[in-house]
Amino acid sequence: MFETIRLAKGVNVHVNETTQFKTVNISIKFKDKLSKEKASARSILANVLQHSNEVYPSHTALRMVLDDLYGTSLYMDSSKRGNEHIVSLNVETVNDQYLSEEGVLEKVLNLMYLVLFKPNTEHGLFKESIFLREKNAVKERIESIFDDKTRYAQQRMMDLALPEHPASIPANGSIGEVEKITNEKLMEEYRTMIESNEVEIYAVGDVKPELIADYIRNYFHFTDREKPVAAPSMELKKPSQPRVAEFEDMKQGKLHMAFFSPVTFRDEKFPVMQLLNGVFGGYAHSKLFVNIREKESMAYYVSSSYSSQFGLMFVLAGIDGKLEEKAVKLILEQLEEVKKGNITDVEFGQTKALLTNQLTEALDSARGQIDIYDQYMELTEDFEPDYLISRWNKITKEDIADAAKQLSLEMTYFLSGKESEIDA
Amino acid sequence: MHKVEFEQLDETLYHEKLENGLEVFILPKKGFSKTFATFTTKYGSIDNHFVPRGEKEAVKVPDGIAHFLEHKMFEKEEGDIFQQFSKQGASANAYTSFTRTAYLFSATAQVNENIETLLDFVQEPYFTEQTVEKEKGIIAQEITMYDDQPDWRLYFGIIENMYKNHPVKIDIAGTVDSIQDITAEHLYTCYNTFYHPSNMVLFVVGAVDPEGMMKLVKENQGRKTFEDVEEIERIFPEEPLEVAIKERVLNMSVQKPKVFVGIKPEKMDLQGEEMLKHELAAELAFELLFGRTSDFYHHAYEKNWIDESYSFDYSLENGFGYAIIGSDTAEPETLAAEIKHTIANAVEKWPFGQADLDRMRRKKIGFFLRALNSPEYIANQFTRYTFNGMNLFDVVPTLEQIEVADLQKAFSLVSAESQQSVFSILPPEKKEAQ
Repeated sequence: MFETIRLAKGVNVHVNETTQFKTVNISIKFKDKLSKEKASARSILANVLQHSNEVYPSHTALRMVLDDLYGTSLYMDSSKRGNEHIVSLNVETVNDQYLSEEGVLEKVLNLMYLVLFKPNTEHGLFKESIFLREKNAVKERIESIFDDKTRYAQQRMMDLALPEHPASIPANGSIGEVEKITNEKLMEEYRTMIESNEVEIYAVGDVKPELIADYIRNYFHFTDREKPVAAPSMELKKPSQPRVAEFEDMKQGKLHMAFFSPVTFRDEKFPVMQLLNGVFGGYAHSKLFVNIREKESMAYYVSSSYSSQFGLMFVLAGIDGKLEEKAVKLILEQLEEVKKGNITDVEFGQTKALLTNQLTEALDSARGQIDIYDQYMELTEDFEPDYLISRWNKITKEDIADAAKQLSLEMTYFLSGKESEIDA
Repeated sequence: MHKVEFEQLDETLYHEKLENGLEVFILPKKGFSKTFATFTTKYGSIDNHFVPRGEKEAVKVPDGIAHFLEHKMFEKEEGDIFQQFSKQGASANAYTSFTRTAYLFSATAQVNENIETLLDFVQEPYFTEQTVEKEKGIIAQEITMYDDQPDWRLYFGIIENMYKNHPVKIDIAGTVDSIQDITAEHLYTCYNTFYHPSNMVLFVVGAVDPEGMMKLVKENQGRKTFEDVEEIERIFPEEPLEVAIKERVLNMSVQKPKVFVGIKPEKMDLQGEEMLKHELAAELAFELLFGRTSDFYHHAYEKNWIDESYSFDYSLENGFGYAIIGSDTAEPETLAAEIKHTIANAVEKWPFGQADLDRMRRKKIGFFLRALNSPEYIANQFTRYTFNGMNLFDVVPTLEQIEVADLQKAFSLVSAESQQSVFSILPPEKKEAQ
């Protein structure tokens, strides 16, 4: 799918030359080791760099150039995967072929260069007003999680279950750490990112791999760097309180459960966990949906998800505040069924069919191609869907039951408005 | 079958209107593995007052019924239709909006089987009192979930403020109380009136062979019998131009206040080319006035009146519409006043010229071309355009014709003070510590 060209040690360009899309997508990913402090600093950095630069010194000036380039989208974001923190610069621009103008791609590459290498600085630091404004923006972004009760409940559970563990560190960092970041510290983080982070550059569209590689080689000046040694996964420790209930002013009850599994992304049995998740709660044909939503009419959403980097399985359900106990009991009963190997041929076949569909379908978007390739690069050099599909097809129901037996329930978290109802 | 080529866009659209009135559109996409299909009826939450098929008297149905019906379409005597799609490797879903109910799937294999399943399950209703009762618990949880989402409450809050009588002000899913009144008989009444093929559009896009697909759809439809095509009579109340409520506040658990300014447009009966031109012109005007390159945005962001949640939107349908601008903000009153002030200034002295228009036009053309990478966007938007007598692929040529005067004219319909309203969500007052 992608052709890889090495530009320097730890710096690679991956290009998928294709006419499938009307646009060209480019992502530059900077990878570093995850910590709360790093995540906080790098989230501010992403905001500051996309705000403006030396040549386009105001937000408005930069956005006007992008509008002129047929509404080219350009943004930076912060994400995490396992023990890695990733800052990405993403652009999408219309292929010249559809425009009455040529040379748009070169102009866009030049803008990417300015964003990364010509930041808006004064006296060797980022422009103070921008630094302060963007620091505040990141803080507000973290605070806004509270308004989305599902995200908030999940974050609360992770903080309680695995404090300070990479699994619970948000990609945007924490308010406490954001507040501590100074302009000096941010400049230091910027240098580290440009000079010593692992860099993976992706391009998808009707472009020649050599052309992209040459442009970046000639202008971006990325020097050799060490790939961060993939830190061994931190062990998951048993939470001190296995069951926590908290209250906010709200109507619905949010039930979140966390299970540990010894199987992670790097494990041979990783595809078994994907199937287990599908049979148990990943889809509308899964045991959780069929039994708890359709048979019991207890929930609108009830599903499971598998976080492969850490070997965590989550169950989420939106239920009446009074029904926590009943819901937990029913969810565990369904898991028991999987453990006993009570999986029908239909459930088994449906899950494989939908996993296959989901994967193949994701590759119909440029962003999907980049994300999947970047994720699986660690396991295989040239990812093709069959890498997973052939594995799923070899798995038996017994394998799934065995994987389910290894799951241990570590935490049940319930966020509801129960208490305030009693007050009233 | 008609074939229309859009050379500039490198797309070919196939179309046929079948004998039973169903409009079928097929758009093959080179290089794609998946096929995405939507089967949509021109029937949404606003269609709550109508003359049922075969009757003379108009009826009013309980709030939330179009959405309830959408849920119940998936249940059949032999079981849940999601199971059937899963067996055939397809991800299926559905949604209900103010004006449409859409059933959809995406699949990378067994596309023909999945198309048959899509057509058959939507055209074979099965409702019983027992299955209707069972669904009430599920939908009540869905409504409760939305009740806890401040952004949803903000959106509906501003629409409720703007509209006095029009059913757009009713939440799409209804309320926990209103859905209790729904019966199987209601569902059949709505189904028989609005799910006739002549009120529906099938759109198939992606890895699809147009000839084979059209043949399959025609054969499927040919095997079924339908009643004659009949005009549907929908009844909408008179709606004054001025907003129903000028200002309203809701207290709920949020970390920071939220505010929306809504503007109700004049002339909401446009359709076809006229509607397309007005809609695009109004979008361009609002983009210039409130977009990321506007003076307003720059000023508001620097002053900390808006944050990353800031948004603005212009939406128009037959009979209702709105422009909405707002953000999470520590200063809701100041922000609302600034937004209104910006509108008033533009009314007094129109600030944009040819260069502004040219830049926005380029941006909009780029956005449209990007969107054509998405089968979901094409199918959903094309259907919406069709129901309003417009063609999605006319967007670029229409954009190219628009002049500065058109922007000014479109804006003049969405700007008077009496058409504006403000809705805010504030954190509850902190109780004094005892």
